[in-house]
This record gives sequence, structure tokens and C-alpha cells, in this order.
Amino acid sequence: MRLMALSGALMLGLSPVHSVNAASIYAGQARAAAVCSQCHGIKNPSADAPFPPLAGRDYAYLKSALEQYRDKTRKSDIMNAIAGSLTDNDISNVAAYYAGLKP
Amino acid sequence: MKTPKMRLSNSVIAGLATLLLPLGALAASDDAQKMHKLYEENCASCHGSDHGGFIAPGLNSESLKGRSPTALRTIIMAGSFDTLMPPFYGRLTDDEIRGLVKHLQTTPKQANPAWTIDDIKASIKVYVKDESALPTKPTYEIDDINNIIGVAARGKYGRGSGSKAVFINSVTHKQIGEISTGTAAHIIDYNPANPRWAYVKNDTAEIFKVDLYSMQIVRSVKTGFNGPGLGVSRDGKYIMAGSYVPHNAVILDADTLEPLKTFELEGIDPDGKMVTSDSGMVIGTPFADIFAIALENAGQVWVVDLKEGFPVTKIENVGRHLHDAFLTHGGSKLMVASYDDSIVTAIDLNERKIIKKLEAGCVPHVGGGAAVEVNGRTLGFGTNFGDCDKMVVSVWDLDKMEVVKQVPVSGGTESPAAHANAPYVAVDIISKDRRARTVQLIDKKSLEVVKTLDVGGHAYFPEYSADGKFLYVSAGYSGDEVVVYDSTSLQKVASIAMESPAGIFSHGRVKYMTRGLSPDEFENAIKMKGAK
Repeated sequence: MRLMALSGALMLGLSPVHSVNAASIYAGQARAAAVCSQCHGIKNPSADAPFPPLAGRDYAYLKSALEQYRDKTRKSDIMNAIAGSLTDNDISNVAAYYAGLKP
Repeated sequence: MKTPKMRLSNSVIAGLATLLLPLGALAASDDAQKMHKLYEENCASCHGSDHGGFIAPGLNSESLKGRSPTALRTIIMAGSFDTLMPPFYGRLTDDEIRGLVKHLQTTPKQANPAWTIDDIKASIKVYVKDESALPTKPTYEIDDINNIIGVAARGKYGRGSGSKAVFINSVTHKQIGEISTGTAAHIIDYNPANPRWAYVKNDTAEIFKVDLYSMQIVRSVKTGFNGPGLGVSRDGKYIMAGSYVPHNAVILDADTLEPLKTFELEGIDPDGKMVTSDSGMVIGTPFADIFAIALENAGQVWVVDLKEGFPVTKIENVGRHLHDAFLTHGGSKLMVASYDDSIVTAIDLNERKIIKKLEAGCVPHVGGGAAVEVNGRTLGFGTNFGDCDKMVVSVWDLDKMEVVKQVPVSGGTESPAAHANAPYVAVDIISKDRRARTVQLIDKKSLEVVKTLDVGGHAYFPEYSADGKFLYVSAGYSGDEVVVYDSTSLQKVASIAMESPAGIFSHGRVKYMTRGLSPDEFENAIKMKGAK
């Protein structure tokens, strides 16, 4: 696991595009549908919702935000609880999936 | 009027409290008022303004007995996956959510509030005063008005800016108009006599008369508190709407939306008990100047003649919990689904009696129904929630009224789509896991599932375009798009974005009566009318 995370970071350093490809967009789609889309939608959150859109956001940003929510360095009642259920793989997959969507 | 008006009695109690109670108790009742208001504004359109449930479960002291307040708070905050329950985090404060949980766990299911013919009359809103000033033809490019497909978009919260009826040109797959419905749009029906009028009913029982030529609401009326029942008569002169709350139905002038007569829905159920009843399907038929309406709990179908006094013929013992239905044989026969005994009952609307009760899988929900002609036989397709061990779609021979086959499918189903020119009958799989993303296609000839489409979201309510060339499916819940397939190659050809789309209604339905039948069936019905 550690090795994978490390190589992921290395690849990220070299070429973010590759790292996105390394993640499984299909696994990300399933996870996003089950965990994120309830609030954030797939392409857009509800027009009446207070949640930010995720589609087309930067992969590295989405990944680090989820990691920060998970380790509680970034505070949010609801996101700390939800990100807490995600594995490293989930986080890169979901980030890759949303980053690749056209909003 | 059978029951007192709840809100009135609440305010009377509040008035008494002002007179009699010390300050602390008054504050408590203010709080109850505030929670009641929050409930009405956020929850009632799905869970019922009587707390008794509608498309979502009832929320009252009985149904929530013993439930953990923390767990309930979490559901309200984060929503519930695989359902339409949205997250209220950020829309309601933590204090409001805690207050609501307490309110729901201490409030009993309310008595049926009254909504009388006077209330209905007073609720009429006129948006376009002079209808003669409306354009005489569509203000957008369309070859044939039957190419219009209407989609009931729920909006994520079942109300607000996402709640609308969206109209699409099913040749170009482009949106041509939309109207806001306040709360979730549920049913769209079209006037068979005048192609310009559509009627949209929302989850709070408001009906909007829509001018399809200029894509705007011209009038609206509130017929009750909720309930999906809506039908238009074959001459286009009357609409009938039925409610869950209160237990009544109303016939309206289709032009002005003025209420003409209300019907209290009550009767002897199959167990011999006198009950008041929710309204199930309401349907007009090309066969005669009648409406048929299903009384869900009384297990009766009423046939209302559209003449002086609107007399009613009651057909009893149709089934234990009726819901929806579809027409066949020129509209002279009605196939009515009954949840609790898992049957579909065939009714002869001419003789006004039961023909036969047919096996229909598990908890049948026939949606708009589907019937196709194959090798000289007319076959009906029956979807069902499939809550028991066998997951099947029933196929009936509608001439002999017998079961032809129970086609195995991958889960429970809610609505079938068919078209005379399309090779497959599409059924939506609604089982609450990844299967809910899919639609299965049954070959009309072999009566076997030949393909599964991964549509996304909660895929439901398939519908063919009027020419049969395209299959429309709602990727509902969080799918947020309507997906269009070529009905023969089954390749995805388009996507139309909207919030939580649900029911899809082709204007072509006025032409072929029941989806899957050829327009000739409808023509024959008209001829039969002339011969009578």
C-alpha cells in the first residue's frame, strides 16, 4: 500500500495525466454514484443545493481535499464522516472520475 | 365533509394556548408550529401532509417508534442512498433537524384534511387571460406534435427550481420548452381532441394546463394534497383527478379547470369492511365518454359516465389493493393491477364487469402498460415490484385473457415500454443495488431478455418516441439525465440533462392509446364509436 501511494506520488510529480490513468475511472464512477453524487450530483449538484460541483475539477485538488477531510486537517462535520469511509484507492479513483467529467 | 380540517384545529389549539397557558408552554407550541411549517415546506410533498406517507414512508409517532433519533438525524442530514431522499445538510440547521426529528417522533398521523369543491374552485390561477391571443401553431420547429416527449423532472428536493415538466422534440432530442411546477412533476397527460393542451400534475396535486404551442402555463388548480391520479376524456372536455389526501376525486372542465363534481372515495372492500380509499389510476378511454377510477383500498373500480350528474357504476371485488391500469381492445377492456393479491384484473368497460383475474408476478405495478401484436395475438406485458423470490415480467394473451409466459428478468420492475415499430419491450429494473442502473429488453417474438442497458442513476420509466425509432429512459435519482437510445441498434444517441428525471410521457400516447399498439387500434376505436 505504502509503495503504491509512493509510486502514485512519484508519477504525479512526473506527469499528472499518467496518474489519473493509473486510477480506475470505472471504480471511481461506482464509488461516486454510491457516495458523492447524493449531494454533489454527477455533472452538477442540484440548483437548490449548497454543495459545490466536482465535475471537471483538478485531480490533485480533489485528491488532497478528500485526504484532508479524511485525516480531519480540514474540518467539516459531514465530509469528515464521509471521507472517513474512503480508502486511498477510493480517493484516487473518485478524484480521477470527477476530474475527467465535463461539467 | 367527513373530517375536521387539521390546520384549523391546530390554530384553534394555539388560540386556546394563548388564553390559558403560561409563557413556557406557549413557547413550546410556537415551536411545534415552526416544526409543522418546516415539515410542510421540506418533507410533506413526498411523506404526505398528513404524515401518512405518499411516494415516501409515513413519518409519525407510530411509524418512527423506537427509531434512534441520531440515525434519523443522519438520514435527514446526508440523505438516503438508493432512494429519492436528498441531503438537507446546509439547507436546514442542526437545531432545525433535531427539532424535526423530535416533532416527527411525537406527531401522530393526522386525520384526512378536507379539500372541498369550494377550496378547489378558489385555488384556480389564471396565467393567460385571453387564450385567443396565443399563437395558432407551435413557436418552434416540429414536424408533428406527437413527436413531443414530456419528462416529469422531480428536482433533487422534490420542490424548487429543479421541479419542472421538460418538453423534448423526440426527433432532434433537443429541449423545446419547460414549465416550473413548484413541487415535483409526476404525471403528464395530453388532450386527445386538441393537440395544443397538456396537463401536468405535481406531487402536491396541482394541475397545470399547459399550452404546448407557446410552452407556458395558462391555468392551474389544486385538486387535493397529493395523489398521482389524472385522466383526460376522449372528447378533451373533461379532466378527472384523484387524491390520496383527502380521499376524493374531482371532475374538472378541461378548458377552465373549474371543478364540476367531487366524489368521496369509499366503499366495501373485498373483506366486507367499509373503508375510505386513496385514488389509484384515473383513465379516459377512446372507447366511450367515461372515466374509470380505481379505489385503491376499497378494491373497486368506478365507471363514471360523462353526462348530466356524472352517474357512477361501481365494480366491486376487483382486488385487494388496486393501483394502476392500462387499456386494450379499442379501450373497451381495462387491465387493473392489484398489489396485495399480485393479480391483474381484466375489466370489460362495456359490460362493466370483471372478465378474469390473471397472475401477475409479485406486487404488480403496470405503469403506463404495454401491449403488442405478435403473430396475430395481442400480448400485454406486466411489470411488478417483484418483492418475492421470482423476478418475472408477466406476458398475457389479451384476447384469451390468459398467462402466456413469465419472462425471467434480473429484478423488480415498474414500467414497461413498447412500440409497434420497435423490436423490444423495455422494462426498468428497480431493485435497490447496481441493477437499478439498468433497463432490460425483451424480444417481442422470443419473449426473452436479449439485452441489458447500463443507463446510470436509477434508470426508470422507459418510453419510445412516437415513431418508435428511439427509446427514452430517465437516469433518475442522482443520474440527472434522460438518455436516448436507437431502439433497434440500442446505441446511445443523446442525453438531456435535468434534475432527477422520472416519468416520461410521449404525446404519441394519444394516437396509440396503449404503448405498443399500432395507431390502427385507436382508429378502430373511433370507427366503433361511429358505428354505435
